[in-house]
Amino acid sequence: MTGSRTAYRKRLLQARRHPLQTLLSLVILAVIAWVIWSTATWLFFGAKWSVVTENLPLFAVGSYPENERWRPCLWLGLLCLMTAITLLQPLVSVRWRISGLALSWCWLAMLPIGLLLLAGGAGLQTVSSRDWGGLTLTVLLTCFSGLLALPLGILLALGRRSKLTLPRHLCRLYIDGMRAVPLIAVLFFGQLLLPLFLPVGIEINRVLRAVVAFALFAAAYIAEDVRGGLQAIPGTQLEAAAALGLGPWQIQQLVVLPQALRVAVPALTNQAIGLLQNTSLMAILGLVELLGISRSLLANPAYIGRHLETYIWLAGLYWLVCTAMALMARQLERQGPSASTSAIPS
Amino acid sequence: MKRKRLRWLEIVLAGLVLTLVGILVNNLAVNLIRTELGLSFKWLWQPAGFALSEHTLPYQPGDSTAWALLVSWLNSLRVIACSIVLATVLGVGAGAARRSLNPLLRQLAGLYVGLIRQIPLLLQLLFWYFVAFLGLPSEPMAPVGTLVSLSNQGIAILGLNLSVEFSAVLVGLSVFTGAAIAEVVRGGLDSVPKGQWEAFRSLGIGETLGMRKVVLPQALPAILPALSSQYLNLAKNSTLAIAVGFADLYAVSDTAITQTGRAIEGFLILLLSFLALNLLINGGMQVLNRIVVRPAQRT
Repeated sequence: MTGSRTAYRKRLLQARRHPLQTLLSLVILAVIAWVIWSTATWLFFGAKWSVVTENLPLFAVGSYPENERWRPCLWLGLLCLMTAITLLQPLVSVRWRISGLALSWCWLAMLPIGLLLLAGGAGLQTVSSRDWGGLTLTVLLTCFSGLLALPLGILLALGRRSKLTLPRHLCRLYIDGMRAVPLIAVLFFGQLLLPLFLPVGIEINRVLRAVVAFALFAAAYIAEDVRGGLQAIPGTQLEAAAALGLGPWQIQQLVVLPQALRVAVPALTNQAIGLLQNTSLMAILGLVELLGISRSLLANPAYIGRHLETYIWLAGLYWLVCTAMALMARQLERQGPSASTSAIPS
Repeated sequence: MKRKRLRWLEIVLAGLVLTLVGILVNNLAVNLIRTELGLSFKWLWQPAGFALSEHTLPYQPGDSTAWALLVSWLNSLRVIACSIVLATVLGVGAGAARRSLNPLLRQLAGLYVGLIRQIPLLLQLLFWYFVAFLGLPSEPMAPVGTLVSLSNQGIAILGLNLSVEFSAVLVGLSVFTGAAIAEVVRGGLDSVPKGQWEAFRSLGIGETLGMRKVVLPQALPAILPALSSQYLNLAKNSTLAIAVGFADLYAVSDTAITQTGRAIEGFLILLLSFLALNLLINGGMQVLNRIVVRPAQRT
């Protein structure tokens, strides 16, 4: 009680000593109050949310066949469940806690499950990738390009630090070149030019082309992040590992990479979030992911002028997914297999 | 012995890379011959045939495609240069606010950075264009006398006329990059030892003056490299202007490619133009680096 009172008195004293600061605070408070008031009145009375509420299935799964919609919905549900399980880990008692390794494997398993559910096969009716869309497609693009880009990025980072001249220069050329080009140009390349570089008769579908383009682009950025992690490993570690008689591959695999990747996790998380946001660029190139489906919705005469409602809804969705990703990455980082246990083969 | 093995490894690798490139080029050649396209740059000198919504140099649809590309390159350069200035102002302001004495200001800047960085830039651009600028009344309104006039036909500041598309791209890019720059600035300010802040405050030097004379000169060497990479990001992100119909380099290249069907050549030119832009920004930043960092280190 006395503590808070002294703090209050201190504040008051500060306020008297800094009249300008106090004035500034008051102005900011007034602006904030006005913004909150006008936003709230608009949100509850001005906005017409029908464009969102009537099209929730479209936002979730796009133009997926109606009686098969449960499949992408099931996948999204599974992902939400996994997210909840991951985020609730520190809250449950130790006995019910799942190890970080098992959790990582569960997350990895989500990818083939998602592909199976979306594409069909094995008893499920096949659905062409042309019909995929909405949040499902956004998540799918992010997951698969990330999965492809990570090993590629690690290889590039190792190559850039290699003792061999040729791979070092090639990797540097690739990384620097890719980082100088805007993503939309790479995606354009993937959609329109990639088929020209493939043998006659081989065609890959648009979603896969987008995944490849995203992965090629993201790999260059991931490589730089991993390189930062690699640089954090002191050279004495390499010498110690070599003195123990480990071969060059063993050194990288058992000593350097586990530590370097741990250092790089925060940067890699940012890359993953960036990747998710960047999938929205496919809307320009004609895929109906989250932003693409909204663009086609807004072109519908029934929803003319409903831009603000749609964009706020989308911003909320993106914000939610990005925040969940950031929180989970922090979780896995804290809980994941520590460098010491994963480096020692049992 | 070991060196010899490495040499062999390198030769094998070179062979593999050469084979891969050979296969790709061969595929390309086969595909170009099959579609009877071939490679040619003659289309550059033929009339473009499309109008540009805005141009700084005189341009008509009858002018050559090369001229259209040059005009669009200048459009890109214009919006990038203006955005860099605005984003820097925003970013430095927000970054400094996050380390200010006023807790409210700190929170507000944190909110700005946190919110903007979690929403895709493309969505933000669409918001600025369709909601903020096209949502303006069609009759010009002038909030501060004749200095500024706003309408959904365009913005006029001190007699300077800006199109709605340009303004949307400018504001969208600046707000987005400003948030990133704020983080860079905050990191730079944090790299200055805390004792320096306490020292100038105990000497009775005001916040603004101390920031300008004591902290910033020491933070700049840490800020500038990251800042220049943010500028390059801004330049790359400016290609999203196509979504709001601004006639920038990428949008016009895209139109030219669709009209002529010359995808490979158009893409090459796009890459080269971008290289030129990057070199320009890099060069500018190096000059700035030399001007700013050198005297700071000398003292």
